[in-house]
Amino acid sequence: MRVLAYGDVLDLALELVAAGREISDNVVLLVAGDQEEKIQGLKGPNEVLLCKDVKSDDQESLVELITSIAQDFDAILLPNDRRGRELVGVIAHKIGGSSTTDVSSLRLENGVLVIERITLGGKAIAVEELSLPAVMTIQKGRFKPLEDIEPEVREIQAPKIERRIEVLEKKEKPRVGVPLDKAEIVVAVGRGFKKKEDLKLAYELAEILGGVVGATRPLAADLKWMEEEVWIGISGVRVAPKVLVVVGASGQQQFSAGIMDSKIVVAVNNDSSAPIFEHADYGVVMDLYQFLPALIKKLKEAKGA
Amino acid sequence: MMVTLMDIAVLIKQSLDVQELRVDQDTGKIYIEEAPTKAGDIDLNAAEEAVRIKEKVGGKATAIMLSTWGASGKRLKEAKEALKRVLAMGLDDAVLIMGEEGQKADTYVVAKTLAEVIRDNYQLVLAAEGSDDNFSGLLPARIAAELDWPFIAYATALELEGEYVKVTRSLEDYEETVRVKLPAVIAVTQEINKPRVPKLMDIVKAGKKPLDQRDFTPPSEPKIAIRELKVPKVERKNVIIEGDVEEAAEKLLQALKEEGAL
Repeated sequence: MRVLAYGDVLDLALELVAAGREISDNVVLLVAGDQEEKIQGLKGPNEVLLCKDVKSDDQESLVELITSIAQDFDAILLPNDRRGRELVGVIAHKIGGSSTTDVSSLRLENGVLVIERITLGGKAIAVEELSLPAVMTIQKGRFKPLEDIEPEVREIQAPKIERRIEVLEKKEKPRVGVPLDKAEIVVAVGRGFKKKEDLKLAYELAEILGGVVGATRPLAADLKWMEEEVWIGISGVRVAPKVLVVVGASGQQQFSAGIMDSKIVVAVNNDSSAPIFEHADYGVVMDLYQFLPALIKKLKEAKGA
Repeated sequence: MMVTLMDIAVLIKQSLDVQELRVDQDTGKIYIEEAPTKAGDIDLNAAEEAVRIKEKVGGKATAIMLSTWGASGKRLKEAKEALKRVLAMGLDDAVLIMGEEGQKADTYVVAKTLAEVIRDNYQLVLAAEGSDDNFSGLLPARIAAELDWPFIAYATALELEGEYVKVTRSLEDYEETVRVKLPAVIAVTQEINKPRVPKLMDIVKAGKKPLDQRDFTPPSEPKIAIRELKVPKVERKNVIIEGDVEEAAEKLLQALKEEGAL
């Protein structure tokens, strides 16, 4: 079994190497040219393939590069971010391989590659048998980077490609760097907030609890009240805090699938039939505009005492 | 400006309505048979975008669905309902490829089948970035690879420019605007538009639009076998805290303290 790992973000790529080690003792990491300086002292993979003439934001070249070396591997692991998810299906099909996404565990059973992934909007875990070669994306945060092997670095050349996609403009998204997936306390806000300014209630609550604020997809992506990096859900960030306080979010399945790993879930919503209460340990059926100020006041009193 | 008549294929999935899906934590049973199916939420965004392109440059848009939920009974009715919904939004006709219940098909097999329907007949394929029930986003990517057409995912805006399409797409780190010559496969996000709500007249008319139902013959063996679906163990207490605002706040803090969470 030989495994190839590639990720546009090197930290994520090292998680892929760790995932690959579950099924192979020969995991090769492919590194794009613009990440070259970061491979100094890098540990984990058995070998690093450095391709200086491909950059990590060049999806077209990456498809051709990975496809061109795929015959040496039984499994190709990619990150479950948008770049990885765009690559996985195309590469799998080009090499006649199986494909799956968002893998949370993988193992070999009598030579059969078996993986698990969340499906049905978070209501089920699918156990899938993949034929080889297999191409898959790996869920973020599931595998801890290894620090054992110091790899040899070998340079490879990119195949020539005929470009079909012309990039006209690239705008970097503003990033605020909220460590949502690692936070111990998260306040998640939804459409129950009537105005952007009202979110200050959530920020105040998060501050006093020592946590951070995340949002549902509509609030981040449609209304743009918050940065997209804080959207929680199956297509955004998965959170796993000790305490998650969900305020004014109905609990659509896409959102709820992203909060499953939270230890304690508190839901505040004025609609007692909102599905979020099924996913909550403690539910408060109240107007958030009344309840949050009261809760903040009590917390302040407790702190002051 | 040159105007191109466009023939667009819109991929519609007969997706399980995961919001309505019941699972039993104790027995581990997933009530799939009992849950309804519908067109995927983001499929409606793909359909809306196709209608908007048609309104601008003319042409035809076809909804294409491959279902392996069973060719009889309620699932067939639901499949037709799902297609009728996007026809009512303004798509012109539909192709429904219906398999036997439980027929083994993965994205590899489905992509091979749909690519043959699309090849030579359409210049643009629009699809959702992911389905409601599985959210892998693999199918449009595989169709693009099978057809050897470029694939662009996470589109938040589309603009036709003659035989080119300009796509704005949203990645984690960047927003990119790219241009690609048609034919192409594009997967859209739910932020690209707001799907229209059909009027009663549109719904009546949708019933009369052509729906071409065909049998599904898998072109090859699937590359994935689903061995099992398990219910994840998530134990929630589901305690509703009663009382007035002050009491509820007090009780909640008490509960969190007892959990050792504060």
